Amino acid sequence: MTAEFATRLIDLLGALLLFTMLVILASGRLFRSIYAVAAQAVFLGIAGAVLGAATGNVDLWIIAGVTIVVKAILLPWLLLRVVRKIQIRREIEPVFPINGTLVVAAGIVVLAFHLTASLGPVRQAITGNALPVGIALILMGVLVMATRRKALVQMVGLFASENGIFFTAMAVSQGMPLIIEIGVILDVVLGALVMGILVLRVRSSVNDADIADLEGLKG
Amino acid sequence: MDATAQIGRTLAQAALLLVLGPLVTGFIQKLKARLQCRRGASVLQPYRDLAKLLRKDTVQSNSASPFFRAIPVLVLAATLTTTAMLPVLWVPAPAAAPLGDAILLLALLALARFLLAIGALDAGGAFGGMGASREMTVGLLVEPALMMAVFSVAVAGGTTNLGELAARRLTLPALAWQAPDLLALFAVLILAIAETGRIPVDNPDTHLELTMLHEGMLLEHSGRGLACIALATHVKQLVILSLVAALFFPPGLARGLGAGELALACGAFAAKVLLLATFLGVVESSYAKLRLFRVPQFLGIGLVCAFLALALRVL
Repeated sequence: MTAEFATRLIDLLGALLLFTMLVILASGRLFRSIYAVAAQAVFLGIAGAVLGAATGNVDLWIIAGVTIVVKAILLPWLLLRVVRKIQIRREIEPVFPINGTLVVAAGIVVLAFHLTASLGPVRQAITGNALPVGIALILMGVLVMATRRKALVQMVGLFASENGIFFTAMAVSQGMPLIIEIGVILDVVLGALVMGILVLRVRSSVNDADIADLEGLKG
Repeated sequence: MDATAQIGRTLAQAALLLVLGPLVTGFIQKLKARLQCRRGASVLQPYRDLAKLLRKDTVQSNSASPFFRAIPVLVLAATLTTTAMLPVLWVPAPAAAPLGDAILLLALLALARFLLAIGALDAGGAFGGMGASREMTVGLLVEPALMMAVFSVAVAGGTTNLGELAARRLTLPALAWQAPDLLALFAVLILAIAETGRIPVDNPDTHLELTMLHEGMLLEHSGRGLACIALATHVKQLVILSLVAALFFPPGLARGLGAGELALACGAFAAKVLLLATFLGVVESSYAKLRLFRVPQFLGIGLVCAFLALALRVL
């Protein structure tokens, strides 16, 4: 695989990542955002594999495989399980209107591209536009966490943000050492497990998973 | 190429889209029926509906002005004129007199939308006014987004003339697929659902007042007028699909007018339209109609995608 072709493929995968992120931001349904974050992880894994094929870095292949298995299958499965268990089928209640969130998201992407344009040498790498896309994904994940009330959607936002960090790391370093990536992924799995259990416990004791209710705890 | 030949070609293309428009609708309806495990009406059903409507007399409300009678014809004319700007089967020769570009195409579609809404308000029915206000709300989101998506491709191609744009996309390697193309394609696919009045934005099959947008504006029309508007709707759907095909999937367009080339172009056109129509039919079968207040959220994805497609192209 030539470097030019890989750059083009990663560029297209970046567009797919941005699109899935917009779907997560705009979706009114919990299930849809979970499926979207799973799709995002699949695209991320493919991007890792493409970069691995282009640079000959074997670690990237392993990381791509682990990403798809953990982030596209295991974590969404866990989330769906929690959703089924606490039986929230209600629509997501945003703190901030969804259309406003979309406008902010568009601003984030433009800013990310505009600001990273000054980082000339980094963008010249094989990964092309991956750096601004990754930064935009991180910030949009934070945006999801900031504008939603349900704990589970905030978990989706965290995973999306993590996907962005992974993509950024890939863009800058063309593949971090295997041990770091595995550590990061284990961290996310552990965080997801803790949050999932916490949500279940909170739900069983206060009958709701709404973060805004925590405000009432202030003395 | 002289002017007469060009006019002849343009008219032939308009006639082609006029004749094929109802067939696409029939195909989507048949596909939906099969997906719902029904046998469904024949794909020729829209033609029969049109023939039936053409035989009937027009009845119009007492409060309608004389202008009301002209509206169906004007809507059909505006929609049919858009076909002159589209490369459907062949890429127009560069020497040809320019008939108009993507901006004019979108403006004519907007004109047709405006005329329909004015007609619905003119008749004075409550449902017509409601349908018109809803349609204009959706139009407010769809039109700028569609323009941005088209411009995103036009910026890369350096022209807003759709024929030339398709020709340049066929030849220039620099215009091979990039990230903005993908985003613009997603945007256009989302907007196409709204523009063709399909679920999850609008439901083309019902006259239920809670769900309808486009159908609400047609309630006051009858007979031949309704036939004109229905035909215009079929043609508009095909025009939108051809626009998507011309912008994003130009391969297959004929360069000359040889028989072999044209046959190939016809096959390619049929394949592209069938693919896009299948997309519409499958989406319509797998989603429920969105609540009206959720529609801006759905179209918001398209709007932001289109904006990003343009922004990434410029940045």
